[in-house]
Amino acid sequence: MQPDERDLVRRCLAHDERAYRELVRGYQGAVVNLAWRITGNADDAAEVAQETFIRVLRSLSTYDPGRPFRTWLFKIASNLALDVIRRRKRRPVALEDLAVEEGPPVDPADPGPGPEEGLRLDRSDARFDSLVRELPEHYQAILFLRYKEELAYDEIAETMNLPLGTVKVRLHRAHEILRRKLIARGTAT
Amino acid sequence: MKTNLTCETCEQELCAYLDGALHPAIARALESHVESCARCGARLQAYREISSRLAELPEIAAPAWIEKRVLDSITGRARARRFWSRGFAAAAALSFAATVGLIAHLPQLARQWGLPEPATWPVVALRAVLDGIIFVAKRLALDLTFYESLARKVWLAVSALETLPKVALVALRTTEAQIMVAVAITLGVALYLALRPSRTREGGIGHACLSL
Repeated sequence: MQPDERDLVRRCLAHDERAYRELVRGYQGAVVNLAWRITGNADDAAEVAQETFIRVLRSLSTYDPGRPFRTWLFKIASNLALDVIRRRKRRPVALEDLAVEEGPPVDPADPGPGPEEGLRLDRSDARFDSLVRELPEHYQAILFLRYKEELAYDEIAETMNLPLGTVKVRLHRAHEILRRKLIARGTAT
Repeated sequence: MKTNLTCETCEQELCAYLDGALHPAIARALESHVESCARCGARLQAYREISSRLAELPEIAAPAWIEKRVLDSITGRARARRFWSRGFAAAAALSFAATVGLIAHLPQLARQWGLPEPATWPVVALRAVLDGIIFVAKRLALDLTFYESLARKVWLAVSALETLPKVALVALRTTEAQIMVAVAITLGVALYLALRPSRTREGGIGHACLSL
């Protein structure tokens, strides 16, 4: 844990109201966006963020300072966001389901489009985000934690209650799916 | 350490390579493979582009009400906790003062109400507790004596089943026989309960029947 994080946690434990504000302000963007990636809905994401911070501040005494604070925070947020999905029953995702490998299959026997077909990555392409949104929620959460929050693989594994190997496989799969979608769209247009 | 990678293995490790999560030896093997394999080289480039795009994904802004609601919830709770802890402290102080006052005036109050001297109260209370324990122990001993004889009879009846001839056991395989036996046992138990000597009432129905 960073020294400033440790100090912030210590002040929160001392019921310092300014520290509460600092903690919420410092992490609310990341928590809202993680929840948004999982729930796919901005209102739900905000509700999840609110509940996350309330839980975090109430149970701060149970936090182990030897572990990264962000991982603990994101773990609570992702569990709450997954609960929202489960309640909504839009695409039910149980936490225990996340322990087994599933998701959009990538046929290893199918090499996909070869290099000769090229990858037309237009950097101004506004639809890249919509392609990411087509991925399952827990894939999006992993991508967010890795590429937006720059968490290490083991931190993502702890946050999402997944084995390290599963995180690795999902990141690879997500890249491969996105690559194929981009090529399919590029060749279609 | 394996140094030659297949295209399939290489592909699976590309992400970890780009994220710096590979063992250095595997990373070197992957680099060497990618240099000699156009297909894997193109895929590495594609993954790099995708990773870069993922880092630029749009984000939403957190609404301002989150901070306010969280603070209201947490500080409101803390205030309530402080209020109750102060209230509890005040109540504890009051009750302590009342107890001290009561103890100081206890002999006087006892005399007014015609009670024995307060110094003897602990002895009286101890005696009452001991009486209670002895009463309960006696009741338990009586119950134990009663149920022990009953349990012995049931055990004897169950043991008697072992002496049944095998033919009888074979006969019990049919549903009709099982129902008949169940009915007979039920009737037997009901008859026993009706005719047994009453434990509590000497003039019970069981006694009357047996005396006939």
